[in-house]
Amino acid sequence: MDVPVQRVVRPRTLDEALVMLAEQPRSRPIAGGTDLMVQLRDGRRSADTLVDLDGLDLAGVHEVDLGVEIGAATTMDAIARHPLVRRRWPALAEAAALVGAWPIQCRATLGGNLANASPAADAVPPLLVADAAVRLASPSGERTIALERFFRGPGTTVMAPGELIVAVLLPAPSAGRVVERFVKVGPRREQIISMVSLAGRAVVSADGTLHDVRVALGAVAPIPVRARRVEAHLEGRRPDAATRREAAARLQADIAPIDDLRAPAAYRRIAAAVLLDRFLEACHG
Amino acid sequence: MARKPRDNEHTCPHGVSRRGFLGSLGAGAVAAATLGRPGETAPPEVADAVEPSKVTLLVNGRRHRLLVEPRWTLLHVLRERLGLTGSKPGCERGECGACTVLIDGVPRYACLTLALEAEGHEVTTIEGLMRGEELGPTQQAFAAEDAFQCGYCTPGQIMAAEGLLRAKPAPTVAEIRLGMSGNLCRCGAYPHIVKAVRRAAEARKGGGR
Ligand SMILES: Cc1cc2nc3c(=O)[nH]c(=O)nc-3n(C[C@H](O)[C@H](O)[C@H](O)COP(=O)(O)OP(=O)(O)OC[C@H]3O[C@@H](n4cnc5c(N)ncnc54)[C@H](O)[C@@H]3O)c2cc1C
Ligand code: FES
Ligand code: FES
Repeated sequence: MDVPVQRVVRPRTLDEALVMLAEQPRSRPIAGGTDLMVQLRDGRRSADTLVDLDGLDLAGVHEVDLGVEIGAATTMDAIARHPLVRRRWPALAEAAALVGAWPIQCRATLGGNLANASPAADAVPPLLVADAAVRLASPSGERTIALERFFRGPGTTVMAPGELIVAVLLPAPSAGRVVERFVKVGPRREQIISMVSLAGRAVVSADGTLHDVRVALGAVAPIPVRARRVEAHLEGRRPDAATRREAAARLQADIAPIDDLRAPAAYRRIAAAVLLDRFLEACHG
Repeated sequence: MARKPRDNEHTCPHGVSRRGFLGSLGAGAVAAATLGRPGETAPPEVADAVEPSKVTLLVNGRRHRLLVEPRWTLLHVLRERLGLTGSKPGCERGECGACTVLIDGVPRYACLTLALEAEGHEVTTIEGLMRGEELGPTQQAFAAEDAFQCGYCTPGQIMAAEGLLRAKPAPTVAEIRLGMSGNLCRCGAYPHIVKAVRRAAEARKGGGR
């Protein structure tokens, strides 16, 4: 089956790509194509010209002063296998290993996962708990914005037309005994979009109390969200049964799921509470 | 838009395959029936708004120079332009794996890949696993383990297995299940498929490749 596009251009540099995006009417970047190819066929997105980002050298995990920078074109497979990511941002590595199946992971890029802006994008909750920022480039220069302010709604972001994601910045995580998890539910482990996903991280003190708690969820609101009420409640507490019950109750005000073809809202509320509990159980252990 | 035979640049490097032979026979019969004058070429079609690009694709170790339209997927070009019909269309949305080929040795869904994106890369299809007239070791393992029923998913399964074994020559059963999880089999031949991948791993260890 054909993909209704008229031109594919393959720039060699970021500047070239930005110029092409600015000059070609109805153009759109393509990275791994795992979202875009399907959407173009379905008519959910359209483009006359595809600007192939493959030749741009935007892939790779690089240590920087403040932490790590992951290039937009880095694949989920590369992220899932990267030793530093696995050690310091295990939720991200775990989420990357759960995107589609292996052939999808070998193509799906981090930049594509963010730019596609699905409320269910699996890389996003781990990046939210990591306090990630997104580095964007346009013909007028670069800007960096917090990931939490990047999404505007399902399928839409703050990116201007022709703007590109260059990299994602992850600040070094806090010291101490950190528990970090990514959990998701769906009818099958591979090849499916999450019905609900959750990433959590907390520093567990010697007395068992939780600090610097961060919880983020996917597919429970128009955009992936931080569960601020839950985080505030858990701060300084031990994750005992009473605390966990209260956290599950507060979670319901942090999320606003809808009914869709993948799951009814009521199911999502229950599943979100269960996923939160799994994370807190890991913190308790 | 109708598909137009525009592969005048493309010289078929293959010998006459059974399928290719039947295909040309069919086309000839239609031309004879409609035009009444065998040998006459079809009338030229109206030029497309879209400029096809001249590309060189490296498929199964052979270079093919051909005209490719931007909207064509690699799956389309393999099947309809190069006559390599081993790669199958299934879901055509990246979910079933029937179209799996290797690009630079890594499994890739040809339905999610534009043909133009494949330029400059090494494409391997199920046909490319043949050793002359003999099946390659991964193909042999699937036959030996009866790892199929209808066989529709099989080329994709074998390419996924081949890619997995190139990356991980001695996978555990769990790694096989995970590595093969992007390939669905409606006949449910999964237990045999896992066995076949194990057998292929053994065969390759023994100098199969
Ligand atoms: C079978 C299947 C299973 C899947 N399972 C999952 C899953 O479990 N979890 C999950 O999260 N996703 C899943 N996906 C969705 C998809 O694989 C991911 O969202 C992937 O990360 C998208 O990346 P890509 O490189 O393929 O993006 P593309 O499809 O190339 O692009 C997606 C969008 O991002 C834009 N874009 C790409 N790169 C940039 C950039 N650098 N700057 C600006 N814009 C850019 C494109 O223009 C396009 O609009 C699945 C898809 C399929 C087909
Ligand atoms: S046809 Fe390509 S994955 Fe189904
Ligand atoms: S053998 Fe029939 S679909 Fe797999």
